[in-house]
Amino acid sequence: MIDEQTQDLVLQYLLGELDASQMESVRAQIESDAELRNFAIEMEETLGSLAYAPKPVAAPPDIPQRILRAEGRSVQPTPKTSRSKIVALNFLPWALAACLAIACVILGLDRERARDVFSKELASLRATNAETTQTLAHLQQKSTELEKQLAALKENDAEALTELAALKQKAARDEQAVAALTQKDADSQKELAALKQKNLLSEVRIATLKAQVARFQQTNAVVVWDTDQRNGVLQLDKLPPPAPGKDYQLWVIDPSKPLPVSAGVLSVPSVGLIRTSFHPTQPVQSAAAFAISVEKSGGSMKPEGQIIFIGK
Amino acid sequence: MTRLVDDPESKFEVSLISRIADGDESAFAALYQRLSSSLYGLAYRMMNDAKEAEDVLQEGFRYIWRRAGSYDPTRSTPFAWAVMIVRNKAIDRLRIRRRGERLRERVEQSVGLERDESTGEEPALRERSAIVRSALEQIPREQREALELAFFGGLTHEEIANRLTTPLGTIKARIRRGLLKLREFLQEEI
Repeated sequence: MIDEQTQDLVLQYLLGELDASQMESVRAQIESDAELRNFAIEMEETLGSLAYAPKPVAAPPDIPQRILRAEGRSVQPTPKTSRSKIVALNFLPWALAACLAIACVILGLDRERARDVFSKELASLRATNAETTQTLAHLQQKSTELEKQLAALKENDAEALTELAALKQKAARDEQAVAALTQKDADSQKELAALKQKNLLSEVRIATLKAQVARFQQTNAVVVWDTDQRNGVLQLDKLPPPAPGKDYQLWVIDPSKPLPVSAGVLSVPSVGLIRTSFHPTQPVQSAAAFAISVEKSGGSMKPEGQIIFIGK
Repeated sequence: MTRLVDDPESKFEVSLISRIADGDESAFAALYQRLSSSLYGLAYRMMNDAKEAEDVLQEGFRYIWRRAGSYDPTRSTPFAWAVMIVRNKAIDRLRIRRRGERLRERVEQSVGLERDESTGEEPALRERSAIVRSALEQIPREQREALELAFFGGLTHEEIANRLTTPLGTIKARIRRGLLKLREFLQEEI
């Protein structure tokens, strides 16, 4: 028993109201359900009968010719084969057989022979008819099978397309996610670099040493001190060479220690730019200031000579 | 109603379609000769315009010429098949051109081709037409109205519901019941 909802759906299908996917779905339902198929056939027949309701109108007779010409075919004269003459056409083979039989009689053949010829002709016609029917049935069966295969292929195709669309969507989403992560990573790298730079700068201290003696007023002295590594770089410009028997010595002043810590004797070959790295001779906790003094040649354990530069 | 292609006329038309599928032009002309007046009447009823009805008929028969190989006699009779083809062509045009309701209403008021009795229609065709008209008269008016709007007007169930300001479910029921009754009457008569 087909429920009313399904019946309505089939009617909408037959009336061409459904969209392509709905049509395909109903078609598949009809194909797979014999009862539904019979219902659909009967309803289509009934709907088709409605075409008899309007009064028939004589159609332009040349439409077939127009179509055939447009299709590049030659035009044949229109045969008159109205529905009322079909009975006569169906009896054509029989009429031919009858004529043959009469001809036999006329030619003087005996009755038995005429019947024999007639029977043979009849048998031949029946055989041809049976063969045609069989071929037709075979073709119909083949056609039905092909339609089923086509429906199955269409269904598979639709499923594959749906799956492909879903995969494409997922791929697009993944791509977006990757792009977002890449951007985030780049931002993080930038941030990290900025933090590193900030950190680096926070670990470096620059101290400009001021001349304490007029003779060294022209000399520029700068110390770059790494508080993390506890070492530094001293840069001196226009420092005159020390007096004979004397050396310049660099000191790091650490408040936690009673005396300045020596950072070494400076080697000054001539007047010019000196850039030299230095390491205090003792561990320094905090470099509060830097100083340069004039010491005896080879340096001293503690500042004994004149302080010529000092700076924080 | 005779089941599908059991009657001699339908059988002959099946053979014509089979020959058309093989490119037989005379079979095509013969099928046209047999079906065109009913189909033209249908097209005219739907389009309410002789030129457009002619175009619809031509498109329908062009489809038949090209797609005769797709006809399946286990699914429908040649006539029902051809009717659905021509109706679909008419609906395509109706929907594309978005003709309003006024045009469809004018169908009933129109004069001219539909009333032409000199079409030379065959007695069998005349008889069949009379049976269908009589069967239509026997189904309740509301069902007939819904059915005609759907079939000839090319309106969807929803459009009919809007037009008649009637719930969609009622329209569905009217069309379904109308068709079932029509089938019943036709089975008795034909």
